[in-house]
Amino acid sequence: MEQRPVNWGRPRDDIYGAYDHNIHNAAKMPTVHTQQPIVTGTSVIAVKFDKGVMMAADNLASYGSLARFTDQERLIPVGKDTVVGVSGDISDLQYVERLLEQLEIEENYDNDGHELKSSNIFEYLSRVFYQRRSKMDPLWNAVIVAGVEDGKPFLSYVDLLGVTYSSPTLATGFGAYLAVPLLRQVVDKEGDEDNLTEEDARKLIDKCMKVLFYRDARSIDKYSVATITSEGAKLEKNVKCVEMNWRFAEDIKGYGRTVA
Amino acid sequence: MPGLSFENYQRNQHLATSGFAVPKTTSTGTTIVGCKFDGGVVIAADTRATAGDIVADKNCEKLHCISSNIWCAGAGTAADTEMVTQIISSNIELHSLSTGRQPRVVTCLTMLKQHLFKYQGHIGAYLIVAGVDPTGPQLMSIHAHGSTDIGYYLSLGSGSMAAMAVLESKWKREMNKEEAMALCTEAIESGIWNDLGSGSNVDMCVMEVGKDSVLHRNYRTPNVRAQKERSYKFARGTTGILGQTVRNLVDVVEVPIANEEMEVDS
Amino acid sequence: MSLQEALPDSALHSTASSVPIEHRFNPYSDNGGTILGIAGKDFAVLAGDTRNTTGYSINSRYEPKVFHVGDNVVVSANGFAADGNVLVKRLGQQIQWYHYNHNKELKLSSCARLVQHMLYGKRFFPYYVHTILAGLDEDGKGAIYSFDPVGSYEREQCRAGGAAASLIMPFLDNQVNFKNQMDPATNGTEPHPITYLSLEEVLQLVKDAFSSATERHIQVGDGLEILIVTKDGVRTEYSPLKRD
Repeated sequence: MEQRPVNWGRPRDDIYGAYDHNIHNAAKMPTVHTQQPIVTGTSVIAVKFDKGVMMAADNLASYGSLARFTDQERLIPVGKDTVVGVSGDISDLQYVERLLEQLEIEENYDNDGHELKSSNIFEYLSRVFYQRRSKMDPLWNAVIVAGVEDGKPFLSYVDLLGVTYSSPTLATGFGAYLAVPLLRQVVDKEGDEDNLTEEDARKLIDKCMKVLFYRDARSIDKYSVATITSEGAKLEKNVKCVEMNWRFAEDIKGYGRTVA
Repeated sequence: MPGLSFENYQRNQHLATSGFAVPKTTSTGTTIVGCKFDGGVVIAADTRATAGDIVADKNCEKLHCISSNIWCAGAGTAADTEMVTQIISSNIELHSLSTGRQPRVVTCLTMLKQHLFKYQGHIGAYLIVAGVDPTGPQLMSIHAHGSTDIGYYLSLGSGSMAAMAVLESKWKREMNKEEAMALCTEAIESGIWNDLGSGSNVDMCVMEVGKDSVLHRNYRTPNVRAQKERSYKFARGTTGILGQTVRNLVDVVEVPIANEEMEVDS
Repeated sequence: MSLQEALPDSALHSTASSVPIEHRFNPYSDNGGTILGIAGKDFAVLAGDTRNTTGYSINSRYEPKVFHVGDNVVVSANGFAADGNVLVKRLGQQIQWYHYNHNKELKLSSCARLVQHMLYGKRFFPYYVHTILAGLDEDGKGAIYSFDPVGSYEREQCRAGGAAASLIMPFLDNQVNFKNQMDPATNGTEPHPITYLSLEEVLQLVKDAFSSATERHIQVGDGLEILIVTKDGVRTEYSPLKRD
């Protein structure tokens, strides 16, 4: 240990050698933030029905155009009556999952029986996403928070920019183009969900997931469905697309001129 | 030199870099669909034309006639879909006059794709071509770069995914004319409600084997404007009068009328 | 003086050039929509459509963007929705804290100055919004304050903001401030006298402005929510707009 006050706490030159001042004077490398998603999950879709909310997301994690992992769960239950559906970067999904787990643990320390409501979880997430975009270091996701709060269905969206909105039908990514039009045919405006039963909502979700599998090249025919009612959240895994129709494809020959 | 002129391309590129606005084209940010049925084919389109965020035309026509038995729905740059359709229409007419046969959809498709490929995507026309010819009902699509597709049901334009969602969930192999028309209507309406580039009304064209093709202009009109709250008629005198001059354009000369006897036929 | 000169519009739009484009995270987006405020003799209205968009998609057909933030002040920040919501939320909190600290209402003019500071505080990473504040001044007269993204503001009789502002504003100039109108009673020799419009007339103008903007602007539609401020408080009226 160097005894002169200016060198207190520093390694001794005679033991460790002189400090290499090139380290201190090295040109600063720019801080590099997440600038693109790497391993990604595609759409999350959700719809309100008379007694709650239903949400679905498929089990594929893509690496660019490679279907890399086929058993990725993207619906995260938080507390008793909230489920968070995440699309976009999977590493950021896992970070969000940890944040939510930490949030739940800290809430339970008090052991007062109080639980975070869906709107509390949503507010927390939207602030995290907005803060990260303001640091120019976004979490590369689009998230849907679904739940039941005071007996009423709750459904809201937040993405990497911190943009938030609510609607009785919501979808992220490709689902916004392919699933939302189908969902809105049944639930178009606030209040329409009162005429949709859980059974019909499930059929609707299955139909949308099938269309997404037909047309979204980053999707897979295996997905999870979360149903949240005042009885709590139920997560059904490994659901497969059924009654698909590919038969007619073999009759389509060529691209116009060629006739077989 | 035949064809389009690109001589101003470099100049325009230079102007763009020095901050001058590039002229905007009217785009038919559109929903168009087509669907085959037993004994025919139907195509449909919405009627909104946009220039950026502004609605340029609330009731434009996106269904173009190529020949009496072939119709074409166009998405992309409005002028391009219009011109390319007219050129091919003329050439198809000459072709059928020279061969003495009814024009075929494949002929039309080939002419269009070769024309569009030659221009390497600079002609922004995205088309669904349909018709009935001696080989039966035909349904095809072309992208601006010249690639083509065939199918039982097709959709193109900014609302293509909203329309395709409906087509994918409702289409079936055996359909009659009415079912195909209902499916296409629903697909276009899906685009009208969910895609901001599409709106207003549904146009439709039905082509049946052995029958004249029928154009249903404004087949559905789900977006009629409601009555306004106020009348904006201005009272007389609202426009300021800056000055007033009265000029006599003719000189009035009073001529006494001679009291002549009227000539009467005897 | 240009209200817009402070805007770094290169942040949103890439220019056409042959220079390689650097790929960088863009922290802004445009969520469309339009807002409109008109002040009357003893009332003020602030209206906004309820459509929320990105690109060619409708995110929600009912996402309110005009809010009562307390003390008879209504506000809307239209443009990039994430910034707008944060600004409105912060303003609401500031008013609350003002109550705790001073135990009195915040004057509308003070509220406007506060908003200016909140906007200018982010001068070099702006809140990408057009903000309009509506309420009653100290004399009980209707007042509208409008702000550019970095805090330049002005008290006005009426102002339209957001996507279809350029469509609505000339209509307002003509119908509220009687621009380009002469007094018919003088047979077009004297300018139209400036008179206050009644609440009923103002609501009719607002509805017609929005239904017309809906016809010609793709980002406007779905629903119209009007917040009306009088000495008795804030009241909300909703009416549907076309959904295409």
